[in-house]
Amino acid sequence: MKLLTKTSLNYLSVTLFVFLFSTIAFYYLLRHQVNQNINIELEKRKNNIVNQLLSAHESNATPTNQNEKVVITPLNQIVSPQLSFYDTIIFEHNEKKYIPFRQLGFVTNFNNSAYYIQIYKSLEETDNLIIRIFFIMTILVVSIIIILLITVRHTSLKAWSVFYDTIKKINNYDINSHHDFSLQQSEVKEFDDLNRVLKSMTERIEKDFSNMKEYTENASHELQTPLAIINSKMELLLQSQNLDEKQMNAIADAYNASNRLSKLNKTLLLLAKIENRQFPESKLINHILLIENQLESLEDLIESKRIKVIKRFDNNVSIHMNPYLAEILLANLIKNAIRHNLQNGDLIIDVAHDRISISNTGNELKISKELLFERFHKQSSSPESLGLGLAIVQKICEIYSFKVDYNFENNIHTFSINMNKK
Amino acid sequence: MKILIIEDEHTLTDSIVDYLHEEGHICEAVYTYNNAIEKIEIYDYDCIVVDINLPDGNGLDIIRQIKKNAQSLGIIIISARNSLENKIEGLEIGADNYLTKPFHLAELNAHLKSINRRIKFNGNEHLIFNEIKIFPNEHLVFVNEKEIKLTKKEYELLIFFISNKNKVITKSGLAEHLWGDFMDTADSFDFIYTHIKNLRSKLIKEGCEDYIKTVHGVGYKFYIS
Repeated sequence: MKLLTKTSLNYLSVTLFVFLFSTIAFYYLLRHQVNQNINIELEKRKNNIVNQLLSAHESNATPTNQNEKVVITPLNQIVSPQLSFYDTIIFEHNEKKYIPFRQLGFVTNFNNSAYYIQIYKSLEETDNLIIRIFFIMTILVVSIIIILLITVRHTSLKAWSVFYDTIKKINNYDINSHHDFSLQQSEVKEFDDLNRVLKSMTERIEKDFSNMKEYTENASHELQTPLAIINSKMELLLQSQNLDEKQMNAIADAYNASNRLSKLNKTLLLLAKIENRQFPESKLINHILLIENQLESLEDLIESKRIKVIKRFDNNVSIHMNPYLAEILLANLIKNAIRHNLQNGDLIIDVAHDRISISNTGNELKISKELLFERFHKQSSSPESLGLGLAIVQKICEIYSFKVDYNFENNIHTFSINMNKK
Repeated sequence: MKILIIEDEHTLTDSIVDYLHEEGHICEAVYTYNNAIEKIEIYDYDCIVVDINLPDGNGLDIIRQIKKNAQSLGIIIISARNSLENKIEGLEIGADNYLTKPFHLAELNAHLKSINRRIKFNGNEHLIFNEIKIFPNEHLVFVNEKEIKLTKKEYELLIFFISNKNKVITKSGLAEHLWGDFMDTADSFDFIYTHIKNLRSKLIKEGCEDYIKTVHGVGYKFYIS
């Protein structure tokens, strides 16, 4: 769970526990204190009454207030006097309800007789008082807890906001987008350290990446020039008049090998560039148009192999891609479909709204389905085939999150690309 | 044509000069940006072949300079960099073609021939080779005054052959000319065989001589004695 939630929960459970505990303790302490006070008051009144009795006659007036009431009874009329504090409930006539009273009963001598005296104090107000005090205390404590909680959370949130911002920025970090990777400053030292370290790390990564990009481009450049020299010399040599067939073949072989090297270099470079997301440009692609162009470019071959082209274009795929990559993707699949087709075979191209599938009649695969997309595993036994065509197809699909599938059924090979990103 | 080659790799430049010399062109070669600028200021050329990456400058700037001087000549860019941006930029500033190294000399030659026709005929281009007559602007081909229908690829093949007559053209050279730079154009060699077979039969049917000779294991030659 989130750190803030964790600390909040911890804080809440501890305070709740302490709160419960101390509330109960507080209640009993308060009650005890109040009782003490009442007892002291009654004691005082007792002393007063004793003094009054010593100096005056018994009063005949009946006190209306039970609080003032003094009940005096000769001792011999009472069997077992209650000599202490005693809680009782009395029906108060004025209020017409039962009210709790604390009674103090004591014996005193007056006029040489022993009398049992009872004095009373109403607990009603003190009970109310206790309840009110208790309420106020509770509300106060709860408020303090809540305010503290809010304050703590707010402080935490502010402190952690920098951290969350850092996480969001890391998530959105794309090395190819060339956006400035800047992180917020924080007063919290740990987050500041984190941000500093991240910034220097990304700077290092970007430097390495740009070095690598430069290297791949330079490597290609450096390789192509000597290859160009070889090719040009070979081509010149081939024009010589006084070569016999064996010599011609030798030169031609060397020339072809050099060409293959050059093609291989270009293709591997392309793969690397695709992998490094060096084709960021993205436009809405008219795939049907690209397919038609390819078919036109290869029409002679289609005709010479007497391939029947069946086009099922339901509706165009509307996908944004790099136009160069889109062309390569389709070209590779269509060329394969022609190359591995049978004489008088079929070439079926389906375009639905998010799927393109290219099928061709053909013989069974010589290599396993799993290895099909691996680099350098080739179906064609021709030494000229680089075996990289499908690897490129797969790589392009990979960076656009397309799903590419191969199926062989009823002597028909089908490559389908699902461009639905869900 | 009078051609200026601007390329810093001497051995490559020598090859190009040799090949074009064979074709009857007058060639000069320079190896640096500064020398190139000097030359184009002083002399007139029909065409330049310029490498982008020169040790002391950018080939594209040479092109810009030429355009600024309002000199009209054919411009072919050669470069080891196959980047799309470079290609587009090169063509936008006024180059006629952009060739990526390594390229086939036959390819370069074919482009030069095309530029030559444009300069010489200025709209009325036509190619005449014995009984074959071609009007490139209309894509019309006549054999013995009779029009023959060629597919796009067969047509391109014929022009390429005639432009490079009596030269051995390798299969890969033909493949790249017809299908360009697409990776993994394997088995294109079988494809080429098909095209040549079709072209041959169409020409011969109209009474054309069979100029296309197979050079075994290597390629083909459009041979005229």
